[in-house]
Amino acid sequence: MSKQPSAKTHAEFGLPPSIVTKVDVSRMINELESVDNQLTAMAVRARTTRPPNQTPPILSDQLTDFLKQNKLDIDTGRERRLLIQQLRLLKDKMPVIHMTFAVTADRESLSQLVHWLRTSVHAQAVISVGLQPALVAGVYMRTPNHVHDFSLRAALARSHEALVKELEVSRAEG
Amino acid sequence: MGLFSKTQKSPIDEAADRAEQAFDESYREELRNYGRVYFEKIINENAKLFKEDLDAATTQINIDLKDHVIKKLDTTISKITIELKDHVTKQLDSEFAEYSAAMKEAQETLMTSQRRNARALEDQHDQLTVTLRKSVANQSVMLESVFQENMTRMEAMKKAQKEALRTVNESARALEEQHRLLAETLQATVAKQETILIDAFQKNMAHIVEHYLLGALGDQYDLKAQLPSIIKQMEDNKQAIADDMKL
Repeated sequence: MSKQPSAKTHAEFGLPPSIVTKVDVSRMINELESVDNQLTAMAVRARTTRPPNQTPPILSDQLTDFLKQNKLDIDTGRERRLLIQQLRLLKDKMPVIHMTFAVTADRESLSQLVHWLRTSVHAQAVISVGLQPALVAGVYMRTPNHVHDFSLRAALARSHEALVKELEVSRAEG
Repeated sequence: MGLFSKTQKSPIDEAADRAEQAFDESYREELRNYGRVYFEKIINENAKLFKEDLDAATTQINIDLKDHVIKKLDTTISKITIELKDHVTKQLDSEFAEYSAAMKEAQETLMTSQRRNARALEDQHDQLTVTLRKSVANQSVMLESVFQENMTRMEAMKKAQKEALRTVNESARALEEQHRLLAETLQATVAKQETILIDAFQKNMAHIVEHYLLGALGDQYDLKAQLPSIIKQMEDNKQAIADDMKL
């Protein structure tokens, strides 16, 4: 039996791996609002007239995964409105981690990263993806208050002195 | 004998009778024809002769007339030539006399003018001689003064040259000294620059190596290949990330 949205707040929501960025959450809210409008219109038509073969709207994979993971129903208008409200709160309060990569990030890799973040750091964490080829490899990560540079460029910069010493040794030997 | 019985006729009458008998009408006619033919023949011969004579006379007349005309003409031409010669000679003599007089007059005029010009030239020559003597005298004085001035200047220039030579020698010595100092400074600077360049090279070499590595590795790995390394690094800093999220 699905849990009623009134009994579940935004802090209790879990996010499926298909939802990676804050944009995904925004898109899901828009979709839910659209679905709510369509279902409300269908309910109104059902009361006034009797149109044959009214098919419910088709949901996206992200929304379907989200509803399944959180065991939610959107059958009634009240449920949908509450869910939209909680999702808006979730969007405003969910922690965002900015991750800049040296190459274009594919969806599968982002899903793995966000899965690790949600299991290790925060259950509702999403990422904001950036691209900076000068990083060469690795990731440049920015949390709300800190910066973690795990790129190859930073690694080389850290080992600059060691490289100079190595060169001096090579020159002395040469 | 009968014949003798008849009256005797004179021989002339007898000849006349006989002639009368002999020269009958036909004979006469014959004679006339003969005479006519003979006359024509004579006439023709005479005409021929006459014609020949006439032709000869005409030819002779022509020749004579020609000779006569030629003689007349020669005589006349000679006469005219002589007269013309005389006339022309007289005319030329008179003109020559006029020309001679004019030439004589012109020569006299020219001689007068030349004598006058010669006198003027002599006067000018005298004046020029006087002027030239004066100029030469002046030039001599001027040249002497200029020579004196030049001598003075030459002496001054010699002094100046000596002074300049002394200054140049001093400058050369100073330059040599400066050159020596400059060479020493340059050597020291070069040595310093060499040290600086070597240090800079070592530092830049590190940058070059880094740049090369960055360029070489830039496109070698996609995100999937980097993922284990990224997750490992995040795992190493997991606590710091989690603490930051809780703040």
